[in-house]
Amino acid sequence: MHKKPPLLTLLDVLSAISFTAALALILFFTPTELTMGPVQKVFYFHVASAWAGMLSFILAAAGGIGYLATRKTRWDWLSLSAVEVGLVFGLIAILSGMIWARPIWNTWWVWDPRLTTTAIMEIIYLVYFLLRSSLDTPETKARLGAVYVIVSVITVPLTFLSIRLFRTIHPVVIAGGGGSVFKMTPRMLLAFGISLVVFTLILADFVCHRFRLARLNSQEDEEVS
Amino acid sequence: MTSFAQYLRAIWCIFRKDLQVEWRGRQGVPVMLVFALLVVFLFHYALQLSPGLQAGLAAGLLWISLAFASTLGLNRSISLERENHALDGLLLIPVDRSAIYFGKSLSNFVFTGLIAMILLPILSLFYQQNMFHPALILVILLGAGAYTGLGTLLSALSIQSRTRDVLLPILLYPLALPILIAAVEASRGILAGQPLRDLQTWLLLLLACQILFSAAGLMLFETTLEE
Repeated sequence: MHKKPPLLTLLDVLSAISFTAALALILFFTPTELTMGPVQKVFYFHVASAWAGMLSFILAAAGGIGYLATRKTRWDWLSLSAVEVGLVFGLIAILSGMIWARPIWNTWWVWDPRLTTTAIMEIIYLVYFLLRSSLDTPETKARLGAVYVIVSVITVPLTFLSIRLFRTIHPVVIAGGGGSVFKMTPRMLLAFGISLVVFTLILADFVCHRFRLARLNSQEDEEVS
Repeated sequence: MTSFAQYLRAIWCIFRKDLQVEWRGRQGVPVMLVFALLVVFLFHYALQLSPGLQAGLAAGLLWISLAFASTLGLNRSISLERENHALDGLLLIPVDRSAIYFGKSLSNFVFTGLIAMILLPILSLFYQQNMFHPALILVILLGAGAYTGLGTLLSALSIQSRTRDVLLPILLYPLALPILIAAVEASRGILAGQPLRDLQTWLLLLLACQILFSAAGLMLFETTLEE
């Protein structure tokens, strides 16, 4: 057994502390939004987890490219870890969005580009696991998994674009013009920026843990066989 | 012969072989066609469609039945190669293996296109509106090209799995969503009588899908099939 690297422990502590700090900031420091009320505060972690999910799927594709270029298994572990963690963040984004949408849009779900794209993205990456589990050797799992994550990362933006061409009612946070633009006060902006950083940190922490698990798993398989 | 001419020749040979196998056996296209018709019937009753169909529903019906039927063709095209280890023979051709990808994409495209061309008059008849617009045929060519391009690549993934045929639809449908959305929207616009200029975005999106997925096939197909 490998001992847990001290840097990872440091990352654990760092993400735990910063997460608590971000939570406190959102609860006590940011102003309550005028029209939406306290439920608006879901926004900080909602966007941050959507961001983390997106980032990890890009990371998964990077792992896929890395694997096909070098054929080193650790790239496949990266893909696998990133997809798994990304799925969780995507789910958090969807669920927290629903909590916000219920009072604001008066419905749990609308067929808006961002919602639909996120949902389809979740399905696409769930299929990644179905694909892997129906393949036999670790080598084919890694190779075909890599092909799949690369193709996926091409189609997700296309899906978004295609649904976006219908009209959207989702508030536009960043980017100018069109839609219902939501203006943030400096305090909100600060808490928002910090949430993004914190979730990136948590993402890194989770991926490292999952990566370590994948490595330990494969070492155990080698010892058994 | 230059290597590029050889490459093109390999594509052509694989394409011709697929057509020949289909012509002699006639086991793929008829199944696809009957399946496409069944989908139309199922949807007609499931969604309680009326004979004077709205443009949007007609476009949706066309593409749903095409997409489903095409999956059957894609599955069959690759599992034929798997039988009797014909794939091993293909892999021995001394050209880049993406030639296999393009040859098979092309034949899958022809089969799906053929189904579409048979489906159009039937749908026109059933739903009492003329669905023969040159622009719609253009959309079908673009959409079917992109769809079979992606499907051929994914069928090479699914064939190596234990679940085989079952896997292809769940690999393909979520990834093909942008193609279907763009194709349905463009077709709806055309059937509703919108000028082609208003639908440019959708056509460009289809073209983009076609180019991106072909590029993915070009680069990834070789890796997918190596054993």
